[in-house]
Amino acid sequence: MVHTDVTPLVKDEGASSERPARSPVFTRARLLSLMPIVAMVGLAAALTVANPRFIEPRSLVALVDSAAPLAMLAAGATVVVMCGGIDLSIATLASLTSVLLALWVPTLGIGAVPAVVGVAAVAGFIQGTIHVVFRIPSFIVTLGGMTVFSAAALVISGASTIPLVDTGATDWAFTRIGGQVPSSIVITLLAITLISLVMRLTPAGRWVSAIGYSEPAARLAGLPVAAVKLTAFTLSGACAGMAGVLLVARTFSGAPALADSLLLPAVAAIVVGGTAITGGHGGVWRTVAGALIVTMLRVGLSVVGVDSAYESILYGTIIIIAVALTMDRSKVSTVK
Amino acid sequence: MSEAQIDPRIVLEVRDLSKRYPGVVALDRVSLHVKRHEVIGLAGENGAGKSTLLKALVGLVQPDSGSIEVRGTPVHVQNVADAARHGIGMVFQEQSLVPNISAAENILLGCEGRAVRAGIFRTRTLRRLAQAQLDKIGCTVDPGARTETLTFAERQMVEIAKVLGIEERTSVEPIILLDEPTSVLEPEEVEILFGQIQRLREHASVIFVSHRLDEVMRVSDRVYVLRGGQVAGEVDPSRAVPSQLHELMIGTADTGNHYHEDLQARTPPHRPRIVVDSLSGDGFHDVSIDVRQGEIVAIAGVHGSGREDLCRALFGAGQIISGEVTLDGSSLSLTSPRSAVAAGIGYVPAERKVEGMVPVLSVAQNMTLARTELVCRGPLLDHRREAQLVDAWIERLNIRTPSRNTGLGRLSGGNQQKVVLARWLLGDGLKVLLLDHPTRGLDVGAKSEVYLLMRNLANSGVAILLLADSLEEAIAMSDRVFVMNDGEVVSCVPSPPGAKPEPIEIVREMV
Repeated sequence: MVHTDVTPLVKDEGASSERPARSPVFTRARLLSLMPIVAMVGLAAALTVANPRFIEPRSLVALVDSAAPLAMLAAGATVVVMCGGIDLSIATLASLTSVLLALWVPTLGIGAVPAVVGVAAVAGFIQGTIHVVFRIPSFIVTLGGMTVFSAAALVISGASTIPLVDTGATDWAFTRIGGQVPSSIVITLLAITLISLVMRLTPAGRWVSAIGYSEPAARLAGLPVAAVKLTAFTLSGACAGMAGVLLVARTFSGAPALADSLLLPAVAAIVVGGTAITGGHGGVWRTVAGALIVTMLRVGLSVVGVDSAYESILYGTIIIIAVALTMDRSKVSTVK
Repeated sequence: MSEAQIDPRIVLEVRDLSKRYPGVVALDRVSLHVKRHEVIGLAGENGAGKSTLLKALVGLVQPDSGSIEVRGTPVHVQNVADAARHGIGMVFQEQSLVPNISAAENILLGCEGRAVRAGIFRTRTLRRLAQAQLDKIGCTVDPGARTETLTFAERQMVEIAKVLGIEERTSVEPIILLDEPTSVLEPEEVEILFGQIQRLREHASVIFVSHRLDEVMRVSDRVYVLRGGQVAGEVDPSRAVPSQLHELMIGTADTGNHYHEDLQARTPPHRPRIVVDSLSGDGFHDVSIDVRQGEIVAIAGVHGSGREDLCRALFGAGQIISGEVTLDGSSLSLTSPRSAVAAGIGYVPAERKVEGMVPVLSVAQNMTLARTELVCRGPLLDHRREAQLVDAWIERLNIRTPSRNTGLGRLSGGNQQKVVLARWLLGDGLKVLLLDHPTRGLDVGAKSEVYLLMRNLANSGVAILLLADSLEEAIAMSDRVFVMNDGEVVSCVPSPPGAKPEPIEIVREMV
């Protein structure tokens, strides 16, 4: 089982200063941080035992392909969660984006894609501004945003599905590169690599962590707390918009509730990946693992023939177990 | 000790209690006993182990070894509720009352008993039960008053009354622990509290903790002096003199050059660095002070004097309503900590663990947090440059850490504080350093190192504004002491080397 306590470092002070810093390959800390991968592999193994066809390349590719929009949706929100906030508006914002895309493609062509992603980014920026300037909890701001975007999508679409007249504008997002690799996977991985590189190679990552762990300390160290949070919300909006684009590409239409059901799976993906819901600790690659676990559960359970009536019970239970396994409690002071 | 063991009047016996934290021995084989209706004083410097000992007695800290016996029975105290079952209650240094409910509700919080029927408060019973507790100490607070409307001293009475409730629940006479109850009280309030303690001893035993020697001597039957986690001595206050206790507290060995006064500049600095002109804000008004290049200026004042508010405002973290701050002749706009940092101002907050550092991040990340641009090449982090810079400061400040990648929360308090200080020393931009209780909770050795660092910084031209932990520290470290009272600066006392003012001169202005 996972240990939750941290043994305090008690040692002879004189000796400790001379000891070189060594990092053994398998420390408990490292093992803990790899738990999402372990859980993912374990789950895949279990599904394979239940149905050997699960491990065939064709079904694995299909699985990853269907996880791509979810991972894209959750990637930006992961950064918000790492800052200590939450973005509940991502799913309805993706739905709104899908409607706008279907409406704008006839006039703007492929230019509609950057346009709608831009609109989604602005929507995230506005929510971030309200959160930072008026000091309203992000939970409330984005809960309001969630409803507003959902209603806007209904009004704009006339509460109906809008077919995509020219699929040429989004074909690139729903094709198979070399006839093998779904492009949505590549697009999602590119976006996540980009976010991850910025977080790792620039000070942005530690600023986000510092703000998430202890906003007062970050503020008193002179960090640009407001700017970092605004950027996080903007990124979250943009990622939601991109997820909307991926969904339009595979359904050939925009619909006012297209992505609405993805909110809880996205939050689950973030948390199952091991990002602390209280902020500070986490990362976008963890969310990729989380999205795969969540998708495996949703798709996999029916593949192996679990009765649909029991599927949700099993899904809920396994999510809780997965979080219990993947959460690194040494990085979280209180579990809320 | 053999006599003590068979003495039936002993209600609490602590034997060889030890507790270690990373790099610090908080309690080192502490043994003491408390008799029935006795008031025991615990004296010692910050970090001597007083608070840890009390926390161990109420189960907030689990000792590594040693035993606690209550009325002859060995006990393992798991938590505060558990301690209450053994008749031990604690009045905390930081008050633990809920502000937005009545005093009566607070007194009976968690043990409402007959005051609640079918989940609903019976207001009259509630008041009567609470009044009974308040009467025990002759407290005149209205049990129906909302807790947040009471003064600090009144809230403390309420808290004592709350702890006394243990008496009914356990049907034994309680042992009451008072952790630094006087630290934020006005002199007349202290008198009231001492009156309460005398009443309290008629049906309880009391352990009274303070770092003010005169108080401990006055109120206690016996005094244990702690130093560096050990019992340095047991004193009968009726026969001892304060200087004896003081010697025990400080230890005779290293009183010599604790404050490094030899490094204080002989010729007073004269070039102004930061000038505060009729500054008003939340908690202070019309404050005019200045700190010169290479000068250490202390601000003395009691809790609520506004000195903390002023300090935060100067870092852009508090509200400024009117007035002007100039740094090296040019006017400053202090709208956020970020603007203050950009101007060359550093701030070490009193709440180190909450505001001063991010415990989970590494030593290196904490140290470079405010000045990440120094360890970047273009927009990208340069880990080699960071490693060189951080390692150089680890060596220079003698920071004891397994490596620069260790989580800062795992170091001892003194080493944490050195990392927090180093944060402002990176680069050459530091002009003003605001220190809010920089030695709080540090052991004697670590304090001395922080003092030395302050002296060296001052001598290199940095202007230091110090809110000291004690008046002694303020006088010893500073070139001048400003006294604040009720949000205003009331006087300025020079404190040159070799001609330090007497504390009494400053205390007179403070209250």
